[in-house]
Amino acid sequence: MTHTLNRRGLSEDRSGQEIIVLCMVHHKEKEQKQKAMEEAACTVLRHNPDNVIGLPMGMKEKDIPALSARAGIVTAVFNDPQDVLSLVKELKAKKLGISVVLSGLFGDVRKICARSGLTEHTANISLGIFGRTERLPEEPILEITTQCGHALVSPHLVKHIVRQILKGKMTPEEGARKLVKPCVCGIVNPQRTERILERLAKKKG
Amino acid sequence: MYIDQNLCKKCLDCRPVCPMGAIYVETERVTIDYEACVECGVCQRYGICPEGAIKQVEEIPYPRVIRAVFSDPLTTHRSTGIGGRGTEEMKTNDVTNQYKRGWIGFSVELGRPGVGAYLRDLDKVLRKVKSMGVELARDNPVVPLIADPETGALRSEILNEKVLSAIVEFVIEEERALEFIRELKTFLNEELETVATVSVIVRADQQGRFPFLERLREFGEAPYPNAKINIGMALV
Repeated sequence: MTHTLNRRGLSEDRSGQEIIVLCMVHHKEKEQKQKAMEEAACTVLRHNPDNVIGLPMGMKEKDIPALSARAGIVTAVFNDPQDVLSLVKELKAKKLGISVVLSGLFGDVRKICARSGLTEHTANISLGIFGRTERLPEEPILEITTQCGHALVSPHLVKHIVRQILKGKMTPEEGARKLVKPCVCGIVNPQRTERILERLAKKKG
Repeated sequence: MYIDQNLCKKCLDCRPVCPMGAIYVETERVTIDYEACVECGVCQRYGICPEGAIKQVEEIPYPRVIRAVFSDPLTTHRSTGIGGRGTEEMKTNDVTNQYKRGWIGFSVELGRPGVGAYLRDLDKVLRKVKSMGVELARDNPVVPLIADPETGALRSEILNEKVLSAIVEFVIEEERALEFIRELKTFLNEELETVATVSVIVRADQQGRFPFLERLREFGEAPYPNAKINIGMALV
C-alpha cells in the first residue's frame, strides 16, 4: 500500500470517503508477532471491509489471518469511516504492538484519531506527478489505476471495460469486479471503481 | 513472460490486461513485446487465458530478472526481505523512529503511475540526488544495484532494463527540504523519459499536526488532501 497516498480524485470537499487500513509488523519482528498479526487480520475482517488482501487472488476470508501472520501485513479498504473507527478502537484495546496506517483524507483520519484517543505519528504526503506527464492516461482512468499502489491495474483494461459497458455486455459493477482482480493487496475499492466506470461510460456514451 | 503458440486460440482477451500494453498481434500470432514487458506477471495471474497459453520461463536470466523484482509485488527482494519495491518507510515509524522531527523523508518513485521506467532514468535520479548531498535509505532494493556509492551510478548492464517502478528514498534536514523540492522537480521535469511521483515523509508534532504541510503550501506546492498516516498504534 506504499503508494495509496498517490490516489487521485479525493477531495476534502467530500469527506467521509474511503480509507485504506494497513496493519504491519516491522520485518525483523515478523516471527515473534505472528499471533498479533493473525489477531489483527481477524479484527479487520470483522469490521466490514469492502476489499482485503488476498481476496482478489481468489483466497477465502478464512485463510487471510494465516496469510497475514506469515507476511506480517494485512491491508483492506473501507467505505464507511465508522467501520474504521470501530476497528481502530478494537485494535487499540487489544494492544497488539503492531503499526497501523490509515490512508485517506487528512480530515477523516484526524476525526478517527480524535475519537479513538490516538495521535497522528507520521505522514507520507504526495506532492504530485512530475516528468513526462503527457504520457499519463486521462484523469478518470488515473482515478482507477492509481488505486493499485503497485500499478498492476492496466489503463487498457479500464478502457476495454468501458467499451464493454457501452456495448451492454457488462455492468459497471461487473466491470469493477474485473478491475479489482489484478491488485494483490486488495486495496482497489470496488464501490468507488463502479462509480468511476459509470461516470466514464456516461462521458463516452 | 511468453505466449505458447501451440495453445493460443488468438481470442485477444489477454491484450488489455497487460499494464504495459505489451501484448500485440504480429503476423497472425498473439505475442508479447519482450522489450515492453516488465515481468509483472499480471497477464498470467489474472487467469484470463482459459488455455493456459500465457507462461513464464523456468528462470528469468540476469539482468532481465531485475524487471520481475521491481514489477511483481509477489517477488520478495533478497536484500530487504520485503515484498515489493520499496522499504517499510513510515509504515512502522512508530517502532523504528527512522523519521525524526526536524527531518523530512523523500520518496521518488519512477514509472508510476502506469508508464514504467527504464533503469537509466533511475540512474539519472540517483546521480542527481547524490550530487545534492543526500544519503540513500540503505534497506531499499535499489541500493544493491548501485555500482559506485559515491556518485550513485548503477551497474551498467542493467540500465536498459524496464520496470513498473523503482523508488529512491532518502532523508534530509527540514531546513533544506523546500529548496531541495524545487530543484528536484525542475530536474525531473527536464530530464526524465518517464513520470515520477514525489512524496515527503513528515513526523507529526506533539498534537499530531503537520506544520510542514503549511510550509509546503506557502512555498507554492500543492500536496494531496489525502495521505498515508501512521497513527502510533504500536506505542499503545
